[in-house]
Amino acid sequence: MGTPLLEILLPLPVGAAAVIWLLPSARRKPKIVAGILGVISLFLLGRVTHSSGSIERDVMFDVFAAVALVSGAMMVTDKSPAYSALWFALVTLAVCGLFFLQSAPFLAAASVIVYAGAIIVTFLFVLMLASQSGGSNYDQFPSHGVYATVAAFTLLGIMTCSIHRWSPDTKTDAIPGQLQTKAMVGTANPLSRANDTPTGSLHELGRSLFGDYLYAVELAGTLLLVATIGAIGIAPRRSQGTL
Amino acid sequence: MSPDYERFLVVGAALFALGAIGFLSRRNLILMVLSAEMMLHGVGLSLVTFSRLHQSLEGQAFTVFVLTVAACEAGLALSLILLLYQSKKSLDINVWTEAREADLPPPVEVSGVPSKDEPQVFPKLTPAGLPPDPSRFSSQPTRDINASPKKGGQS
Repeated sequence: MGTPLLEILLPLPVGAAAVIWLLPSARRKPKIVAGILGVISLFLLGRVTHSSGSIERDVMFDVFAAVALVSGAMMVTDKSPAYSALWFALVTLAVCGLFFLQSAPFLAAASVIVYAGAIIVTFLFVLMLASQSGGSNYDQFPSHGVYATVAAFTLLGIMTCSIHRWSPDTKTDAIPGQLQTKAMVGTANPLSRANDTPTGSLHELGRSLFGDYLYAVELAGTLLLVATIGAIGIAPRRSQGTL
Repeated sequence: MSPDYERFLVVGAALFALGAIGFLSRRNLILMVLSAEMMLHGVGLSLVTFSRLHQSLEGQAFTVFVLTVAACEAGLALSLILLLYQSKKSLDINVWTEAREADLPPPVEVSGVPSKDEPQVFPKLTPAGLPPDPSRFSSQPTRDINASPKKGGQS
């Protein structure tokens, strides 16, 4: 059996302390403390995870995961909303790197296009248009940040415990409730099963989407159409004045 | 290569938790929506990991649908935020606490001294290309771009 539970849970309070330190408040706090705490937390977290045995993959995972988590913490705690949106773009790029590591290149490309290309840009437009010239009060004082951090890290601890308990990395014999590492058998969704072509390529994913999930794809298209109509209907008219 | 599914799942869970912190604690409407998108990122990462775990493409197909719904959500949220901002001229979520149910108590106010001395910091962008020539558009009434950002940028 792998690492004890205490070692898994040790990074979480340190990370929570870093996030609480970073939260905007009236006092001016040096960011280096949060940086040190965050580095300690990430180091503790990296020590307990299993390595894949290939150095390149490990290094790439470490870089992408560290960038994703640090940018996520910075996005949540930055005082300026425009910088928060830019940190979110960095989170998106790091998650796309993790998608690449999991042999999902099409999803990585689609995420970059949809999130970093469309969502971030439109949100940045609105942020720049709508922000007051003086510092906005509501961005500098988060509501109940400490409680929110404690609650979220408690949730993270529970999730980490259950992931570690049923981890597919450490166990090989089948236990009820354990995640199965074998390929799925059965006749449900036969086109989604991986065959000899590389998993996650556009050909494979398209075969799964337009084979097994054809109705869902049609529904998603309808949803996009309805959302477009709704957005046009809700958005303020030009006659009512713009921002 | 030994399997390494656990660490991807942990990163997905951590992204979800960070997004939850942002959604619970930030008061800016746009940042709340962005935090929800970050939670969707965490879920998508977990789904892709499960897809690799099962050697099946169902997780990736689900993530495509998550992406679609995220795009719809962003569009609708943006138009709603525009509408709300137009009526109150503020992105603060606490402005809208009167929209709650009639029998609910008012939420606890956050104590904070409004500090106006700290101006909002925007990213500095290096200018690219030539500045537009206003004389080319002289037939139409033009807005003075340089005058507005000093005071009352949302005129």
